[in-house]
Amino acid sequence: MLRWLLRRIGAGLVMVWLVATATFALVSAAPGDITQRLNDVRTPPAARERWRRDFGLDRPWGVRYISWLGDAVTGDLGYSWLHHRKVAGVLAQAIPNTILLAGLGLLLEIAGGITLAVVQLRRPHGKGDRAITLLSLTAYALPPFVVGLGLLYLLAFRFPLFPPSHMLSVAGETQHGLPRLLDLLHHLVLPVVAIGIAGMGGVARYLRGSLLDEKGQQYVLAARARGASERRALISHALPNALLPLITMVGMSLPFLVSGSLVIEVVFSWPGMGQTMYDAALARDVPLLLGGTVLATIAVVAGNLLADLAYAIADPRVRL
Amino acid sequence: MRPSSWLIVTATVALTAVATGCRREGPGVAAPATAEGPRRGGQVIIGQPTDVSTLNEYQSAGDSTEYAIIDLMFPTLMVEQPDYQLHPPSFAPRLATSWEFSQDNRILTFHLRDDAVWTDGVPVTAEDVRFTFTVQKDRQIGSPGLEFKDFISTVEVVDPHTVRFHFTRVYPYQLMDANDGHIVPAHAWGKVPFDRWRTTDFEPIMVSSGPFRLASHNPNQTLILERNPTYWGQPRPYLDRLVFRVVPELSSLTNQLMAGELDLIQGIPPREAQRLRGDPDIEIVEFPSRKWGFVAWNNRDPLFADRRVRRALTLGINRKAAVDAVYHGFARPAVGPVLSSMWAFNRNLPQLPYDLAQAAGLLAEAGWRRRDSDGALVRNGRPFVFDLAYPATNTLRAELAVLIQADLARLGITVRPLQMEFTAFVAATETGEFDALLWVWEEGTRVDLTGVWSSPSETAGSNNFIAYSNPEVDRLISASREEPDYTRSKVIFDRIQEIIVEDQPVTFLYEANEIVGINRRIRGADINAVGVYFNLEEWYWGQ
Amino acid sequence: MKRLPARAGALPLRLQLGTLVLALLAIVCTIGSLLSPDPAEIVDPRAAALLPPASQRWIVTLRDGTRLAAEAVRRDEDRWTILRRGGDQSLPASEVAGLELRQFWLGTDTLGRDVLARLVHGGRISLTVGVFSLLAALLLGIGVGMASGWLGGWVDSVLMRLVDGLMAVPMLFLLLLLAAVFRPSLGTLVGVLAFSSWMGVARLTRGQVLSLKQREFVLGARAIGASSWRIAWHHLLPNAVTPLSQDAVLRLGDLILAEASLSFLGLGVQPPVPSWGNMVAEGQTLLVEAWWLTFIPGLAVAVTVVAAALVADGMQEIARRLDAGR
Repeated sequence: MLRWLLRRIGAGLVMVWLVATATFALVSAAPGDITQRLNDVRTPPAARERWRRDFGLDRPWGVRYISWLGDAVTGDLGYSWLHHRKVAGVLAQAIPNTILLAGLGLLLEIAGGITLAVVQLRRPHGKGDRAITLLSLTAYALPPFVVGLGLLYLLAFRFPLFPPSHMLSVAGETQHGLPRLLDLLHHLVLPVVAIGIAGMGGVARYLRGSLLDEKGQQYVLAARARGASERRALISHALPNALLPLITMVGMSLPFLVSGSLVIEVVFSWPGMGQTMYDAALARDVPLLLGGTVLATIAVVAGNLLADLAYAIADPRVRL
Repeated sequence: MRPSSWLIVTATVALTAVATGCRREGPGVAAPATAEGPRRGGQVIIGQPTDVSTLNEYQSAGDSTEYAIIDLMFPTLMVEQPDYQLHPPSFAPRLATSWEFSQDNRILTFHLRDDAVWTDGVPVTAEDVRFTFTVQKDRQIGSPGLEFKDFISTVEVVDPHTVRFHFTRVYPYQLMDANDGHIVPAHAWGKVPFDRWRTTDFEPIMVSSGPFRLASHNPNQTLILERNPTYWGQPRPYLDRLVFRVVPELSSLTNQLMAGELDLIQGIPPREAQRLRGDPDIEIVEFPSRKWGFVAWNNRDPLFADRRVRRALTLGINRKAAVDAVYHGFARPAVGPVLSSMWAFNRNLPQLPYDLAQAAGLLAEAGWRRRDSDGALVRNGRPFVFDLAYPATNTLRAELAVLIQADLARLGITVRPLQMEFTAFVAATETGEFDALLWVWEEGTRVDLTGVWSSPSETAGSNNFIAYSNPEVDRLISASREEPDYTRSKVIFDRIQEIIVEDQPVTFLYEANEIVGINRRIRGADINAVGVYFNLEEWYWGQ
Repeated sequence: MKRLPARAGALPLRLQLGTLVLALLAIVCTIGSLLSPDPAEIVDPRAAALLPPASQRWIVTLRDGTRLAAEAVRRDEDRWTILRRGGDQSLPASEVAGLELRQFWLGTDTLGRDVLARLVHGGRISLTVGVFSLLAALLLGIGVGMASGWLGGWVDSVLMRLVDGLMAVPMLFLLLLLAAVFRPSLGTLVGVLAFSSWMGVARLTRGQVLSLKQREFVLGARAIGASSWRIAWHHLLPNAVTPLSQDAVLRLGDLILAEASLSFLGLGVQPPVPSWGNMVAEGQTLLVEAWWLTFIPGLAVAVTVVAAALVADGMQEIARRLDAGR
C-alpha cells in the first residue's frame, strides 16, 4: 500500500513537472509578451524594451526556465507580472471562489443526477422514464454557455429574480454575517444551476445504465425475494454498488473544482480561476500562468489518487 | 436524496430569492436634494470591463480607465483644460497655485499650496514633486511616461512650497511635460527600493491625496473609493463613495445599467446607445473622443508600397456607409492624421470620396488587370489577396472588416478578415508581420506626429509600424517640434496633413464618439473629452 | 460474430429517431449549404439588420449595384416609393434594376446576414469538424490502446502514464495558448479537438483488448501461431467494435459541444466563417434584443448532441438485448 502510494506520488510529481514545462514552452512560443500591454500610441517602444529587461524577458528562455524551476521547487511561485503581487496571493484569492461555485455545482449535479436516475427506474421504459431521459439528454446536450445565457435572459433580465453577475451585490460587500451570506447565496443560484443542469443530465444517464445493470444482479433479486419493495431494493441495495464508479467520476472532477468552468465564469462575471487564468494567458503573465497550471495539475493528480483510494476502501474486491 | 427533500430545497432557494428582494440598488444614504443645490451623500456605482491592475501610476501600463481612477486619488501640479480645439491646452491650478517661466524659458517655477496633505496627515511638499521626478526618470521602474521628461534635467526644491524645473531646451510642450504624471508620496513610497517597484504591492502602503481615497479593493470584483476627509481642494466631494464594479461582458454592462445596478458606464456600443436614448432613467452623453480608427497598410509590402494602390483602396471603400452601418451615427469620418477636434487640424483637407471608377483607374495605372475568368484583380499572374487582421476583443471591428471585404470585392480584390488574439495582434505590429490591420488609437492632447509618422530609424524602435517614410514629412515634423509659437507651427502641421492625405499610408476611417450612460438623477456632471470623471467632486444626487 | 435480431422493427425507437435526426441534419447542412443563399452576403446592413425570425423584405437592386431592403414598395409610373427604415424613399424607375421578395425564416444578424443560411453553413462546418476530429481521435486512440493492451509490459506502463498525464492537463488553458501560437484554422482546430479526445478512446480500447486477450478464440489463434497483426485485425477489433462505436457516437456529440465552446470563446472557427459556436458568441451581446441569434444555433448544437446520444443509447440497448439473448 505504501509502495503504491509512493509510486503514485512520484509519478504525479513527474507529471506536474512535465505539464509545467509544456506550458512554459507554449507561452514562450506564443507571439507577444507582457510588454504588449504598452500598446498606446503615445508610448514609445523604448518603454517596452525597459519592461522587457525588468521582467527578465531579455534573458534566453533556458535561463528563465531554470530560474523559475529553481524557485518553484522551493515553493516560491514568483510575482505576477499583471497584478504586481505574489502569484500565490493571486491564486489564493481566486481559488476559493471557484471551489465554491464548482463545488456547489458538482453537488447539485450529483444529487440531481442520482434523484433523476432513481425516479426514472421506478418504472423503467415507462412514460416517466422516457420523458426524464429526453429531458436529461437535452440538458446534457445543451452547450453550458447556452444554458447560462438562457438562465440569464429568463431569470435575471426578463424577470429580474436573480442578480446577473458577481458574487455579492455592492451593498452586500460591506455587510457581514447573515445578510452577506444570503446575498452570496442569491448570487450563487444562477451559475450553480447552470453548471448543475448540464452535468445532472450526464450523471443521470450514466447512473441509469449502471443501475439497470445492478438491478438484474442476483443480490437484488434475492432482496426482492426476501420481501423488500422495489424501491427499497433499488435504493438500499443496487444504488450503493452503482455509485462506485461515481466515486471515480468525482475524483476526476477535482480538477474541475480548481480550474472551474471558464465559460460559466465568463458568462456570470464570477471572479474565479477561470477568469484569472484567461487574463493571465491573454497578458502572457508567465509566472501566474505557470503557477495556475501547476496547481491545476496537482489537483488532477491528487484527485485521481484520492478516487482510487476511495474506490479501494469502498469496494473490497479491489486491491491496489 | 428523496424527491420531496429536493422540493424543499427548491422552495427555500426560491423564497430566498424573493426575500432578498428588489435588486435595484438605490444611491445609499442621501439627504433629499432641495431646489437650492447640491446635497451631500450617496454613492455612484460605475461599471468597467477590467479591474485596475495597480493604483500606482508608475507600475501601470497606461490604461486610460486606470489613469482616470488614479487621477481621483493623486494630484498633479496643474489640471489640463478641455480647450485643445482652439490652441494647445491651457492649465488650471491644482497642487500648484501659480507658476512662471524664467526669462530664457529654461526654468519653470511652481508655487505649491501650503494646505495640501496626504491621507496620513503629512503635508504635500516640493520634496514629493522632486521624488516623483526621480521615479519618473528611473529606468528600472520604466514608467511609460519616461520620455516626456527627456528635456527636464533636474527638479530643484527651493523651499517646501516652491519647486523649480530645469529644462535643457525650449519647446512648445514644456508645461505639459512638467505636468505629466501624478505626484506620489516621498515619505511613504521612498522606502521601497526602485528595483523592487515592479514586484511590490502598493495597496497595503497606500497613501494618497485627492478628493477620494481607497476604501477597499476586492480584486476582479469591486474597487471602492470614499470621500477623503483630508482633501484640501474645493469643493469637497458631495458623494460619499465611488464603487467601481468589474463586469467583463460588454452586454452585461449595458444590461446592468438599464436594470439600475450600475449608475455609469463608458464605451456603450452604438447600437445599445440608440436603444437607451429613450430610457427615462438613463441619460446618454456623447462627446468626441480622441480615438480614431484606421486601416493600416503595411507599406513595406509590395502590394501596398505604391501610393496609387493605397489611394485606390481608400477610394474603393465606402467609408461613410461602413461607419454609419456599424456606428449608427456615433462616429465621424476621419480625414487625416490629426483629429478634427484638435487645434492643429487642417480644415481645408481634401476628402477622398467613394469612387469606384477612379479607384479602378488608379489600380490599372499601377499594373493591375481584372482576370477574365473570375474578375479577380491580378498583376503578373498573381491575384490581389490579403489578410485584414483585427483584434478579437471588439465585434464592431469584425463588422467593419466584413463590410470592407464586401466593398473591395467589387474591385476584384479578395480580402480575408482575420481575427487575432489581442496580444498576438499587437506583437504582429512590432514584428511587421501583417498585411493590413484594422485598429483604433487614442491620441493625447499633445500634437506630436513624430512617433507615428516619421520614418522609422534603424536603431530606436518606432510606433510607425507600417514603415511609412516620406523625407519631406520628416523634415516638416522636425521643424514643427522646434517652433514654440503655435500659430506658426499650425502652418507646418497643415502642410504635413496635406502630404499624408496625398500618400494615404493608412486609410482613415472614423473618429469615434465616446458614449457614456449615466443615471439621470446624478447632477453636476461635466463629462467632456479630457475625462469622464473630470469634475467628479461636483457630482451629487438630485431628485 | 453477433447478429442482429431478424425483425428490423425490433430496433429501439431511440436508435431510429436518433439516426433519422442525424441523417436529416447532415443532409440539410450539406445540400442546404449548396442551395441556400451565400451566408456572407450582406444586403443593406442599415435596414435589414436584426430582423426577427419569419421576417420578409423586398430587396431593391439599383443600377450601380447597391441594394436596399424595404418593408413595402410601390410603383407609380416612373417613380418607385419604398418604405425603408421607417420613412419613405423615392427613386426614379430608371435607377431600379431588380426587385425580389426575400424571406428571412430565422431572421438576420447585426449586418443583415441571413441567419438560416449561416446556420446551415455553420452546421456543415461544425459537423465536418466534429466528424474529422472524431476520426483522428479514433485513429490515434485505437492505435495506442491496441498497442498498449496487446503488448503489455513496459510499453503498456509508459503509454498509460502518458494517457493519464495528458488527461491531467488543464485543456482550456493550453488551448488558449495554442490559439495564440498557431493562428486558428480549421486544420489546427481539428487537431486540437482530436488531441483532447483520443485518450478516452485509448483507455477504452486497451480495456477491451485486455479482456479479450484471455478469450478462447484469441488463445486459440495464438496457439496455432497467428501473428499479432492478424489477431488484432481479425479478432480483437471486430469484437471491440460494439463498445467502441457506441463510444464514438457519444464522442461525436462531445466533440461538437467542444467545438461550440471553443468557437464561443473565440478559439475555434474564426469569423466571418460561421460555426454554431461563434454564432452564439456574436449573438451574446444582443441577448435581450435579438434572442434568436443566440438560442437558435445553441439549439442546433443541442439537437445534434441529443441525436448522437440517442443513437448511442440505442446501440447500448441492442447490445444488452444481444447479451441477454445469449
